[in-house]
Amino acid sequence: MRSFRFALRDTVRLIRQSPGVSGLTFLTVLVVFFFVGSSFLLALNTRHVISVVEGELVIQAYLQPKGNLDEVRKKAANIPHVTGVRPISSEQALELLKARLGNQSAAVTLLGENPLPASVEVRVDKASSVAGVARELVSMPQVEDVVYAGKVAEKLARLSRFAEVFSLFLLAFAGLAGALVLYNTIRVAIYSRKQEIEVMLLVGALPGFVALPFVFLGVFWGFTGTVAASLVLGILYKSFVVSVQNTLPFIQLLDNPDLFLKLGIVLVGSGIALSWLCSWFAVERHIAEAMKPS
Amino acid sequence: MEIRMAGVTKTFGEDITALEDVFLNVPKGDFVYLVGPTGSGKTTLLRILNRELLPTRGQALVGEYNLRKLRRTRVCHYRRAVGMVFQDYRLLEDRSALENVAFVLEAVGASRKEAIDRAGEVLDCVGMWRRRFLFPRELSGGEQQRVSIARSIANDPLLLLCDEPTGNLDPQTAGEIMQLLLSINASGTTLLMATHNRYLVDAYRQRVVELKMGRIVRDQERGRYEIDEEL
Ligand SMILES: Nc1ncnc2c1ncn2[C@@H]1O[C@H](COP(=O)(O)OP(=O)(O)OP(=O)(O)O)[C@@H](O)[C@H]1O
Ligand SMILES: [Mg+2]
Repeated sequence: MRSFRFALRDTVRLIRQSPGVSGLTFLTVLVVFFFVGSSFLLALNTRHVISVVEGELVIQAYLQPKGNLDEVRKKAANIPHVTGVRPISSEQALELLKARLGNQSAAVTLLGENPLPASVEVRVDKASSVAGVARELVSMPQVEDVVYAGKVAEKLARLSRFAEVFSLFLLAFAGLAGALVLYNTIRVAIYSRKQEIEVMLLVGALPGFVALPFVFLGVFWGFTGTVAASLVLGILYKSFVVSVQNTLPFIQLLDNPDLFLKLGIVLVGSGIALSWLCSWFAVERHIAEAMKPS
Repeated sequence: MEIRMAGVTKTFGEDITALEDVFLNVPKGDFVYLVGPTGSGKTTLLRILNRELLPTRGQALVGEYNLRKLRRTRVCHYRRAVGMVFQDYRLLEDRSALENVAFVLEAVGASRKEAIDRAGEVLDCVGMWRRRFLFPRELSGGEQQRVSIARSIANDPLLLLCDEPTGNLDPQTAGEIMQLLLSINASGTTLLMATHNRYLVDAYRQRVVELKMGRIVRDQERGRYEIDEEL
């Protein structure tokens, strides 16, 4: 507890000793974690947009005239990756047609007997499953024909795979940059107090005790930097969403308070963890070096 | 603490031999002057005892500590039992005299108040009480030296290593510091003091170990600064 207080006092001293460096550190951490947060948001949004589009991918399977709608529905529901099956009887198909024709619906009666086949509308979990499910459907004897947007589904599947890899890559890169910045910040702080550390170790201070102020310093920057980055990111993203809604209303971006809270927690949490690790590593290396007798 | 050095050799690089085959036993509570011309290896010997340097060859034992085989936490424990006055003081420029002494006490676990109280006490012992709030750059060489002595004794060390502790002091102050070191020694602390101060060595007769070119060339109870002609 004593050493804890001593270390805290020392941390404050470290921060105040060089306000210029402190301000710069704060800004750097802020920018880097803003970048981390942005790539995170980009990743989430890409996934979101893709999954919205994927959710709209449907496969229409038209039945043979003698096909049993209920049987096909059950079979279709059992195919892997299928998330929903909507049966449409030929009567319902006619109703839908009428509804679509609106005031010209009277024309339908000219058809006499209902010529529309019954069908099932199948939804799948993701774009890459579409082709497989369609093949399964077409192989059913009761199914006459299958209609789906094959090319679109294929492209979308490729896009979503790419987005996943890319966003992971971006995130890893941003995290690495953040770690490097923190690591070097602590190294500079250590360097400016080299002599002091040496004297402390010479009089028998425990390495953990010597390290503590620097670890606190790192965590302090990690914490304040990420809190600020979260706030700035939140505000900027909010206005970005609004302007996108006004100009490109067909793009639906993620926008719920829950998401912001989670993103903030993730950012600040990873900031603290990362800064703790980096500063501990930096100071530990220095102490090991300083204590090695020559 | 008792010191036992056996066959200690210390080389730097290929061709500098700072210590060569040194055998030195110092019983607990002894007072030993280390004398010898500049570059003869006095500081090197003290730095080995402070575990800043490892002997290239030979054994160095202090109390129950084998200085060649100390784990990191044991090094810390060992150093808490050892006080060292550095030839170049090694004070921290950005703290007052009082803080210079207090921070090492806090670094080894004293509370803030204990540290400040004790720091004031030892600064008083070396005659620096009135200048305790001054920074090293505001102190004369001799004053800095006294702060460094205060720091080394604050922790009540069992072994006190003094490298030229009176190098920058006038004879009067040097005598006072000597009295202080003797009283610390009298309380049971083993004391090694490297010095060029002929006057002190001759006035306060103690065991003298003389080094030349890294070798012990004389080890004499109640010796003088230079070889006694009578012997
Ligand atoms: N780190 C080092 N690297 C290389 N040589 C060194 C190192 N430390 C000491 N030496 C050499 O070892 C020899 C002994 O040095 P040491 O400092 O022990 O002398 P000393 O007896 O303390 O001298 P002085 O009375 O001037 O303080 C010197 O020749 C010095 O140049
Ligand atoms: Mg020397």
